[in-house]
Amino acid sequence: MFEFITPLFCLLIIGGTFLGIIFGSIPGLTATMAVAVCLPLTFPLGLENGLALLLGLYVGGISGGLVPAVLLGIPGTPSSITTTFDGFPMAASGEGEKALRIGIVSSFVGGLISLGILFAFAPTLARFAIEFSYVEKFLIILFALTVMAALSKDLLLGIFSGVLGIFLSLIGRYDISDGGNGKMRLVPQEWDYYLDNGFSLLPVLIGLFGLAAILEQAEIGVPKGHSREDLKVGGESTFSFGIFRNQAGNLARSSFIGTFVGILPGVGGSAASLLGYSNAKTFSKHPQTFGKGEPAGIVASESANNGLTGGALVPLLSLGIPGDATTAILVGAFTLQGIQVGPLFIGNNPDTWNAMIIAMLLANVAMFMMMYIAIRHMALVVTVPKHILFPIILMMCVVGAYTINYGIMFDVWTLLIFGILGWLMVKLRLEVAPFIIGFILGPSSEVYFVKSLESFGDLTIFFTKSWIAVVLWILIIGSLVGSFYMSRRNADQNASGRAVG
Amino acid sequence: MTISRRNFLATSAAGAVALAAPSLARAQQLPRNVRLVIGSTSTGGDTYQNSSIVADALAEHLGINIRVDAVGASEGFRALGRDSRGTTLMMFHDQSYLGNLYGREGYANPFEAYTVGQTVSINPGNAYLVPKSSTYNSMEDIFNAAVAGERVRVAIQPGGVSEIGFSAMKNAANVRAPGSADNLVAVNTGGQSDKNQTMWDDLADCINGSIQANEQFTQIDDDTAMKFVWITARQATLQQAPAEGMGNTTREDLLKYATPATSVTLDGSQDFTFDKEFFFLFNKEMDTAIIDQLDEALTAIYTEGAIQERQLGSFFIPNFLNFADAQAHLQAKNETYRNVLAQIS
Amino acid sequence: MARTQVTIDFETSHLIFPTIIATVLTLLFLTIVIRDRSRIAGSGAYWRQTFASMDKVRFFGTLVLTLIYFWLMVPVGNMWPNTGMGFLICSVPYVFAVGLLYLHERSLRNMIPVAIMAAVAPPLAWWLFSYIFFLSLP
Repeated sequence: MFEFITPLFCLLIIGGTFLGIIFGSIPGLTATMAVAVCLPLTFPLGLENGLALLLGLYVGGISGGLVPAVLLGIPGTPSSITTTFDGFPMAASGEGEKALRIGIVSSFVGGLISLGILFAFAPTLARFAIEFSYVEKFLIILFALTVMAALSKDLLLGIFSGVLGIFLSLIGRYDISDGGNGKMRLVPQEWDYYLDNGFSLLPVLIGLFGLAAILEQAEIGVPKGHSREDLKVGGESTFSFGIFRNQAGNLARSSFIGTFVGILPGVGGSAASLLGYSNAKTFSKHPQTFGKGEPAGIVASESANNGLTGGALVPLLSLGIPGDATTAILVGAFTLQGIQVGPLFIGNNPDTWNAMIIAMLLANVAMFMMMYIAIRHMALVVTVPKHILFPIILMMCVVGAYTINYGIMFDVWTLLIFGILGWLMVKLRLEVAPFIIGFILGPSSEVYFVKSLESFGDLTIFFTKSWIAVVLWILIIGSLVGSFYMSRRNADQNASGRAVG
Repeated sequence: MTISRRNFLATSAAGAVALAAPSLARAQQLPRNVRLVIGSTSTGGDTYQNSSIVADALAEHLGINIRVDAVGASEGFRALGRDSRGTTLMMFHDQSYLGNLYGREGYANPFEAYTVGQTVSINPGNAYLVPKSSTYNSMEDIFNAAVAGERVRVAIQPGGVSEIGFSAMKNAANVRAPGSADNLVAVNTGGQSDKNQTMWDDLADCINGSIQANEQFTQIDDDTAMKFVWITARQATLQQAPAEGMGNTTREDLLKYATPATSVTLDGSQDFTFDKEFFFLFNKEMDTAIIDQLDEALTAIYTEGAIQERQLGSFFIPNFLNFADAQAHLQAKNETYRNVLAQIS
Repeated sequence: MARTQVTIDFETSHLIFPTIIATVLTLLFLTIVIRDRSRIAGSGAYWRQTFASMDKVRFFGTLVLTLIYFWLMVPVGNMWPNTGMGFLICSVPYVFAVGLLYLHERSLRNMIPVAIMAAVAPPLAWWLFSYIFFLSLP
């Protein structure tokens, strides 16, 4: 039954995980790219061994994203955006190692929980996922968008930034492969040569978080960075597993959220960590510490985005429908070997199914061990002098932007445009976090909103479609009320402590 | 302003190239490093697979490097248009001219704007399905329903390969009973998962799908189950597929859904067919010696025979036509579909 | 009931959502203008202050170098098509120049690590991505 477990199988998982971590750790390179790059290698390897490599890359790539998110404030992958909110402030105060350890443990737990769910409930959950029509998917996206409010420092400016993000994401064609009519909008005549497909997410992301941060540093003259003495590494690190004592609920909840979002095809990975993060903030006793280096924020973000890995495989293996961009490429690995994925996959290929579960399990363990050991050294990245580190980051951002869509120069210009925009936004007191959330979720909110109306022809459908819709509305309203309440309380506190502001 | 500066740079770069690159002297050959752009952004899809199979074989045969870049249709056409040196080639399928026939923005007529080249393979999978519980069991039932005034909703992704079969249905409905095509209504949606979902949400009575992606749904018995009503491939194409067919559906079974067993008429006498073919596209100004070189290399590769096994292994039908044959074939195909679309508009 | 009904014309459906979002955006903008009018009125001074306290050489230097870097990459790469040479040839001086720009004491001793980095990192990235991962670089 387990004859597929050979030394080669294990080696491929370990190698894949290692390479995945490297891809995830470099700003601009993603898990999706790692899987795409290695897909052709799997043909001669055969199905089980090929999957071992690809699943290792997937788990490693998603997990590696936390390293630059924490240490540099640049999310290595879109799904680690929320990790920067608390990870980077911690690194800035010398607690980088602690933040990384928290992130890795959370990733590991999230990965295992979602794997367990995948193993036990895949077909049942896939059946549940197809209950989500355009209407419910729109409401899920809307729920994720309410996170904008929760993340805003100034509610009005934050929401304005978020809506601006949505607006900019709509530039270009109404994408035909998502169900749009393929027509261009919001593009000046002279620009349609470039803006045909709008601005790509990844260059926007590394522009806003990477280039903009370097511009800010340049503006203040690139002050000297951390020296070895500022850092709490090794024995000085205040990390202990005790941190997780109060986080059990958070860990479980975020892992479930991540898994569940992964299960819904077409909702997208970034929504997983966003929802995990906002829920952690809502349920927290001290929500005001979020965004300033709160360990619970890292726990939520990382367990949710690794929860995605198992979740996204659910619809792939039980319906033949990929749950996210990376699993979409995995489909290629199956067809390369002449294997169909669909509702009969698990029953027809029990060996492959077992191999995948084992590979995911081993990949999670390998990821945990490698990262846990490597952390001490990784945390020292911030001690590299900035005049060495920054040029390299800039160069790698170019590599990432250029290669993400397989060689489009305009993506590199997008990086520059959004780098400058990111710098300007901070000057104008606009907020980057809600902006990027709007930008990520904008296209799917459009498709699901317009398609809901197109299909059902009635505005009330958003409330009457199903019990799921009603539950989602309760969550949306709850999240909004929570944010307004919190913002009011912050305003009161600021008013009482005027001397500060 | 920007444009003129761009042109200036391009010209000066071209000048520099002329001075600095002696390798261009032997431009009649494919250069050492070739970029093969494809019309799809997916690296897991059929266009990528077919392209990489051909690219691997060509690279090995000619001893050069060929990199397949999944840049998508519009960027692919742009990259091809910019480069006449043969360093950028493109591979795409029927979407390249169907997009133009359907009047989609960003699709020029490929026969005028580019040089259409050799075909390499066919994906025979394009199919139409209905829910297993549907009262329609065949295309015949669907056409009869349309004549009887029943509205039949068909989920497609508009403007190309996914719509052409639907257009043919409308055409056939009108040939049988003028006006009955109005009862076949398009439900415009996106990729395969969206099309399946419209069926499960009861927004569509029939969906466009594929043998590869939907066969397993025809083998189950719950409310997500489906059944084939039409496979658009030519009989001759399907007959080349492996005898065991796909999953639990043998080639014999598949043939029941294709012409002549299942008829969607073109003009009352012959049936409409659609094979999704993969072929090369070249820059209009590219040296024709490169096309000859490709003709020669591909002929040798297909004579040798290993490539066919790889294609069949992934359920693609080998289909090499040399440059001259491919041009004539694709032009004729383009004309047929142009007429179908003219009939129904 | 009939009031809530809407019919969407597929051919113009690409304009619906942008219109809604543009409207919301305008409303939010107007609200901000009204609420923050005093801050906006004082923005001239704010920007003067920003520019006065800015390290102009490093800030604009970064922008100009990056602009030149991006601008040259494609034409240079076009001389040796599909080899990634545009990236390699432009990255070495760029990494070196930005390194120098950010360096505080530009002594020879401090410049050596910058030079080594500029000589090693771009070729390493180029080799890794174009040869090992077989990805396109300019």
